[in-house]
Amino acid sequence: MKTALLPDGLIRTLAGQALAFVVALSLGAVIILMIDESPIAVFMTLMRGAFGDAEKIAGTLLQTTPILICGIAACIGLRGGMFNVGIEGQLFLGGFAAAWVGFAFALPPFVHIIVAVACAILAGAAWVAIPAYFRVRYGTNEVVSTILANYIAVLLTSYFTIFLFKRPGGWSETPPILPTAYLPELFSFSRLNIGLLIGLFLAIATAAFFRWASAGYAATMVGSAPKFAEYGGINVRKVGFSVLLASGAVGGLAGGIETLGVHHRFMEGFAPGFGFDGLIAALLANGSPIGTIFTALFFGALRAGSLLLEVDTTASREIITVIQALIILAVSADLMMRRRGDRTGERRWKF
Amino acid sequence: MEVLSTIFNVALIVATIRTTAPILLVALGGSFTTKAGIFNIGLEGQMLIAAFFAVLGSIWTGSSLGGMVIGVAAALVFALVFAVLVISFRANEVVVGLALNILAGGMTISLMKAIFGTRGSIVGRGIVGLPKVQIPGARDILGPYTQLISGYTPLIYVAFIAVPVLILIYGRTRLGLYIRVVGEKPEAAEALGISIAKVRYTAALLCGLLAGLAGAHMSLGYITMFTENMSSGRGFMAVAILIFSGGDPWRVLAGCLLFGFADALSLRLQTFGFPSYLVLAVPYTVALTALFALSWKARPKLIRETIETMQRALSVHPAKSETPDTSSNRS
Repeated sequence: MKTALLPDGLIRTLAGQALAFVVALSLGAVIILMIDESPIAVFMTLMRGAFGDAEKIAGTLLQTTPILICGIAACIGLRGGMFNVGIEGQLFLGGFAAAWVGFAFALPPFVHIIVAVACAILAGAAWVAIPAYFRVRYGTNEVVSTILANYIAVLLTSYFTIFLFKRPGGWSETPPILPTAYLPELFSFSRLNIGLLIGLFLAIATAAFFRWASAGYAATMVGSAPKFAEYGGINVRKVGFSVLLASGAVGGLAGGIETLGVHHRFMEGFAPGFGFDGLIAALLANGSPIGTIFTALFFGALRAGSLLLEVDTTASREIITVIQALIILAVSADLMMRRRGDRTGERRWKF
Repeated sequence: MEVLSTIFNVALIVATIRTTAPILLVALGGSFTTKAGIFNIGLEGQMLIAAFFAVLGSIWTGSSLGGMVIGVAAALVFALVFAVLVISFRANEVVVGLALNILAGGMTISLMKAIFGTRGSIVGRGIVGLPKVQIPGARDILGPYTQLISGYTPLIYVAFIAVPVLILIYGRTRLGLYIRVVGEKPEAAEALGISIAKVRYTAALLCGLLAGLAGAHMSLGYITMFTENMSSGRGFMAVAILIFSGGDPWRVLAGCLLFGFADALSLRLQTFGFPSYLVLAVPYTVALTALFALSWKARPKLIRETIETMQRALSVHPAKSETPDTSSNRS
């Protein structure tokens, strides 16, 4: 039957997202008009900057990679009912940890990458461990604790970079990592590396895990119906803790891939906003890792296009942040959904 | 000892009062939404947008009062959007709050580029700062301690006076009662015929008002400038305070004084040559530590209510549960 392939709920969801997009883009157009630019010119510049030629497309994919991996981190959290807003901080610590392994140790080529990436994953998981513990043990709101941890993570990595490991003569960056720790690049004309493939693989693996593994089902149940999960004999605290830890680990991985693959060093503010973009991408995809691939690509294109925007027009590249926020607001309003009668019911992360 | 006495002196107390005020204002604003049962993570964005429009308004109107009004208006717009989406459209409050924060960050930078053609910060350009209030006669009575109570911007007095005012509102007015009922027992409010939506809208807008004042103080108070993302997490700290204080004004004041002190101390330590990055992290670390340390008290509502029900079930007083009047009056 046709409904089995495209269930009614999915059609309505997609239609709702499309309507939200239209609303958000028209609001975005109004704001672009407010800053004295033509919305069409801005849009065309964004498209040219994102998909103009092979190099530009590679640039888009380069921006997509960290957003995708951060998005998967957010998906894991959302599925388990956890709002990990600290991906930004995990990204920074993961990035620093990978860079540190990259420049401080001399290891054989392949092993070097593995060790550096493993350290990035550990750093990300370690950074979320304390908020995660207090979340599951005492119910400390993880949104606020992870946001505050972000600020500390950024300042801490800046401190490491500038006071402990500064490259002599360099500007707030660590020494470059050894070539043995470089991630293999995909094309000769771009810094695009196998990080993208890792991200795609991770998205599919995560989707499969939540779809078919019993542990994935347990996590989903803890997220959507904790009481049911508890009656079913699942240790809700343990699953919640693991979910946040896994989310943090993937966040750290995103940072590691960014330093090992793109910058080849850690610098202050090396990946501004990727963590938040990832979270937004995951929310837009309604917590589906496969959907996150597309939303991350969309945001990656916006980011890549915004670089040209700053060159070709007087608009600031932050205008894309405005558009992203508007899209999320419009989607969150869930314009297609009919309101239920109850006014006191619990709100979930689902839009 | 000499070092300690140079760090801990009257000037530190004055600095604490100054740094406490904006976070106190925004946290008291959030107290309204917290009491009304809304988790408002969008305080940060409301503050930031108010700070930007306060600067813009003071340039346009040539007066700090005009700047303040326009700043507050901008915060109110954000608060209204938050309220419409969360209360009327029943969207997720964390998602909406975070999106509004991101929107505020992007919008201020975009508008700054469009209006002033610069990135980073707006300094000078005819920004009028808030005046300092000199309390007449204070110098005669207090002598060298005059600066403890005199010479602040008006908004600092507003912030501290707002604490008892909020207590009066919650304890003595109909609105305060309604806000508490809606937050604690929405079912009871509904049964009494109170419009939950109306009360929550009022709370959200009152919150926007105070967050707007906080933002205006940030950019027109002691430093008259606007910088990208200048709220730098103050709004999130306020949310942390709200979580462990439950929105109670006295506890909010205590929490804010703690963060104001951490802030003032970190500024002071910077001049002693401690690495600035670590010093800057002090307020966030204090906020996080306080949040964790005090969170055992704020156990999930579910557990609290379960314990209450258990106690009620164990004590044999079936008559009590059959009188709905007393239960609604209690809250």
